[in-house]
Amino acid sequence: MNNVFNLRRFGWLFRKTIMERPVQLLGLMLLVIALDIMIYAFCKAVSGFDLAQSCSFVIGITGGGCFLASFVYSHFASNASGSSFLTLPASTFEKWLCGVLISGVLYTAIFLLFYKLMDTTFISFYHKGLDAKGPFYKELYDRVQPFQLMGFVANKTYIMFFNFAGCMLIGTLYFNKAPFIKVALVVCAICFGAFLLNLLMANMFFKDVNSAFPYFFVYVTEGSQTGRLELPTGTLKNLNTVFEYILPSILWLLALLRLKEKEF
Amino acid sequence: MIQIDNLSFGYTSKKLLYKNLSLQLETGKIYGLLGRNGAGKSTLLKNIIGLLFPTGGSISVNGFVPRKRLPSFLETIYFIPEEVYVPPLTIHRYVELFSPFYPRFNKEQLQEYLERMDVQTIDKLNTLSFGQQKKFIISFALACNTHILLLDEPTNGLDIPSKKRFRKLIASIMNEERMIFISTHQIRDLDNLIDQVIIVDNGDLLLNASITTIADKLCFRTVDEWHGEEPLLYEEEHLKGMSIVTENVHHEESKVNLEHLFNAITDNPVMAKTIFNK
Repeated sequence: MNNVFNLRRFGWLFRKTIMERPVQLLGLMLLVIALDIMIYAFCKAVSGFDLAQSCSFVIGITGGGCFLASFVYSHFASNASGSSFLTLPASTFEKWLCGVLISGVLYTAIFLLFYKLMDTTFISFYHKGLDAKGPFYKELYDRVQPFQLMGFVANKTYIMFFNFAGCMLIGTLYFNKAPFIKVALVVCAICFGAFLLNLLMANMFFKDVNSAFPYFFVYVTEGSQTGRLELPTGTLKNLNTVFEYILPSILWLLALLRLKEKEF
Repeated sequence: MIQIDNLSFGYTSKKLLYKNLSLQLETGKIYGLLGRNGAGKSTLLKNIIGLLFPTGGSISVNGFVPRKRLPSFLETIYFIPEEVYVPPLTIHRYVELFSPFYPRFNKEQLQEYLERMDVQTIDKLNTLSFGQQKKFIISFALACNTHILLLDEPTNGLDIPSKKRFRKLIASIMNEERMIFISTHQIRDLDNLIDQVIIVDNGDLLLNASITTIADKLCFRTVDEWHGEEPLLYEEEHLKGMSIVTENVHHEESKVNLEHLFNAITDNPVMAKTIFNK
């Protein structure tokens, strides 16, 4: 018997994981989707399509993905379900892969399909509402275009998703109760700490720092002018590689190690 | 076979619950693990199934190291914790989703055990009472036909008729290939069921002996007054006189009273060890 991966056994596990709590799993996905529609509609009404598209995409992918990531290993909320999960005859790798596929692939695929549909519908309503004989019809028509799922915002969002969802997966294996809230607090604390540290460092090296945000920028005011300081191209590229590939890989693999060493 | 060698375990590194515990458990027997609340019964079971990892020593279960939690190990052992988990599924769907993981699972046996435990429902399992849920899980676990069955306080939450059904069912499914390890503080529930008694207290193994050996070494009697020469391991006054436990120096036959045995061993561990080591 293969104790690491067996396709048949993995199929049973995947089916069990989906069918065991279908209402919660699908309910959670529907909740995220419903919230996303509301965010899209609200932002569109307040500020227009650009904000609506970006905001709903970022929240839907990152927020929803983190929600799902905190759900897939939520068995540890009770002694009984935690024991049942860990003693089920499937390998740790299979249990980990199941969580990764549900939160990282299945949810993302469903959300992207839904998002495309939602965005197209909203835009189509907007286009239909325009006066085709009006003087600015073409300009107004062209102003609103479908959100680019491989554009700049989308790519940055995917990076955020893989990093935050990775944190959530690990956190769920550390915090048995209310993992979503606890991990969110820890991540916020780390981000805030990084922000303060970055600001402190920036103030140590430069005078008149206007604002500073870790990883992205430091703005310095000189007289009446403000300039943006950027990392050298090579360093920025390396740092991007860390955030895009290395850090998410470490986080998601750490979840596997943590699951392997999980005592309950 | 379960082989425990010099097991040390503690929830914190400063305070060890078990220190150098050695134990050997063989198939074909029903073991009763007795101990007070917080004595470490559940902890020992969790170490055997691999939910907790020893801080020292080793555990081997049929040649497997439990902490690795390999599928080939987990399909030979079933652990029922004190609080059972049932998802919001019907029995039919539960069996469909969970039974494929256990290659020796037998659906006809499950049906039989459910009938014997009086669990008949088409509702979702999570809507059943705690006792019904527990009876379902016990039936399912038995139908999985794993070599080893670990039960943590199995009779908690069961009503009196169900406790009787549980005892009868466990006794009837026992065979030479199986080992059943029952942890409980409700000692009377295991009467006439177990072959071997293990008593732990404060992380110490106070007793590991078969019922036959216990009956051979100790004498359980009810007397009006006690004037014998043997020192008393345990005495309890009641309306009919006095129940006592003494060393069985005259090789008398008596029925082992588990509750009195437990009190005798935990009250006088040193004297008990001396008697059993003779």
